[in-house]
Amino acid sequence: MSDFITQIPYPLLIFLVAFILLNLTLLNVAYLTYAERKLIARMQQRLGPNRVGPRGLLQPIADVVKLLQKEDIIPYGVDRSIFKIAPLISLVCAGSGIALIPLWERFVLSNLNVGLLFILALSSLSAYGVILSGWASNSRYALLGGLRASAQVISYEIAMSLALLSVVLMAGSFNLQDIVKAQVSSPFKIYLIPQLVAFFVFMVSALAETNRVPFDLPEAETELVAGYFVEYSGIRFALFYLAEYFGMVVMSALAVTCFLGGYKGPFTIPGVPFFWFLLKLYLLLFFYIWVRATLPRYRYDQLMGLGWKVLIPLALINLFFTAFLKLYLN
Amino acid sequence: MSLLKKLLLIEIWKGLLLTLKKLLLDPFVTIQYPEKDKVIPAPGFRGRHALVRDPQTGDTLCIACMRCVRVCPSQCIKVEYEIDSETKKRKVIKYEIEALRCVYCGYCEEVCPVNAIVLTEFFEYVGFAREDLYFDKERLLSNWDEFSSQVKRPYLNPFWKPRGIPEKFLPIKKRNFAGV
Repeated sequence: MSDFITQIPYPLLIFLVAFILLNLTLLNVAYLTYAERKLIARMQQRLGPNRVGPRGLLQPIADVVKLLQKEDIIPYGVDRSIFKIAPLISLVCAGSGIALIPLWERFVLSNLNVGLLFILALSSLSAYGVILSGWASNSRYALLGGLRASAQVISYEIAMSLALLSVVLMAGSFNLQDIVKAQVSSPFKIYLIPQLVAFFVFMVSALAETNRVPFDLPEAETELVAGYFVEYSGIRFALFYLAEYFGMVVMSALAVTCFLGGYKGPFTIPGVPFFWFLLKLYLLLFFYIWVRATLPRYRYDQLMGLGWKVLIPLALINLFFTAFLKLYLN
Repeated sequence: MSLLKKLLLIEIWKGLLLTLKKLLLDPFVTIQYPEKDKVIPAPGFRGRHALVRDPQTGDTLCIACMRCVRVCPSQCIKVEYEIDSETKKRKVIKYEIEALRCVYCGYCEEVCPVNAIVLTEFFEYVGFAREDLYFDKERLLSNWDEFSSQVKRPYLNPFWKPRGIPEKFLPIKKRNFAGV
């Protein structure tokens, strides 16, 4: 097997890995929407999608086909070029983070030494997609949504970065592969136990970063109709939608890698290389959906208050504590 | 204590537990109406119109008193009658209900002195043209046949004896009526 892999020319190998990764992620994202609808329906004692295919399993495909057929409306008065490119910025920034996540010991598309920083940078950049779409739409709702999104993403990013920094301090590397290895060789096997506070801060910030309930103010239906993508239709709308779910997957994958021991499990399962990674990933994604079905939306000032007055101080204290312990123990 | 509660997010965990319980334990409340579940309307549900067929004569019980025509708020009942020259009794020759105009108030069955008209509990009826929902006398009688074959006899519609009216104020035929 390994001989066979080494015989493939490198560019082709990269292409192959990227292809597998893309398809795997797209499939996950597509069925994440299905799982979300189905699970929320169960939590509200409804049935959820059950018309397309057995138990509605083909629903995501039907959705994609429908959205592809829809007219791509470009309203009068929008900034055309920005309007067209904004969903792409959003999707690329949200989606490309997955390339850096080590899905398996030998399966990581780009093993960057600054992997963590790169993902953080990408997630900040995705705010551009949101705010540009809000600005270019020439609509009040979209602009308000974009403004909210940028404020929210910027404030929660600080807390998130600080939470991840304490992980970096413990592992001594920005490389995600190294973080996983350092984690496994650490006394608790996973960083969740010593870094519980950081994990909590990270999860809350990740909810806010991906604009999910209870922090979905940028797309608050009751106030802003759909927020920054209110003017979008058809495939461009689908791209925004996709970006949101890609963001969820990337953030969960990052949490798995940094806090839950990545692809390592208590024992190896032969033949299913991604088993532990996917299991942990699905658990976290379930958490996202679960929270969405449970919590109401935060008010805007509460959101800012939580970010700046609770999460950032908490993450800072945790960071100092970690640094102190690290110095003291060495 | 309340600070600890706040710090540990007790309320949020309670909410999460509730949704998890709903996910795992509770049954669906969705009624999958045409495919799996059958809906049985409550007695007195005001559905499709029918004229009760008299088991003796095989014709309607209607005596053409015109009360239903007068009471109908949407004026969707049309009745014509002729007077028999020998017995001097009225005889219905035309009894028509335009179901599309009907508001299903049930006044006609309440006011009918002989319990001839009824809004049956049958509700699964549609039409592709206006004529399909324009019931003449024959169709109203056949509606009754269709309905009465599926229902437990004797059948007594609650609107035939309106609640809150003492028995003695009702027309004679309604007073001791036990169903058809």
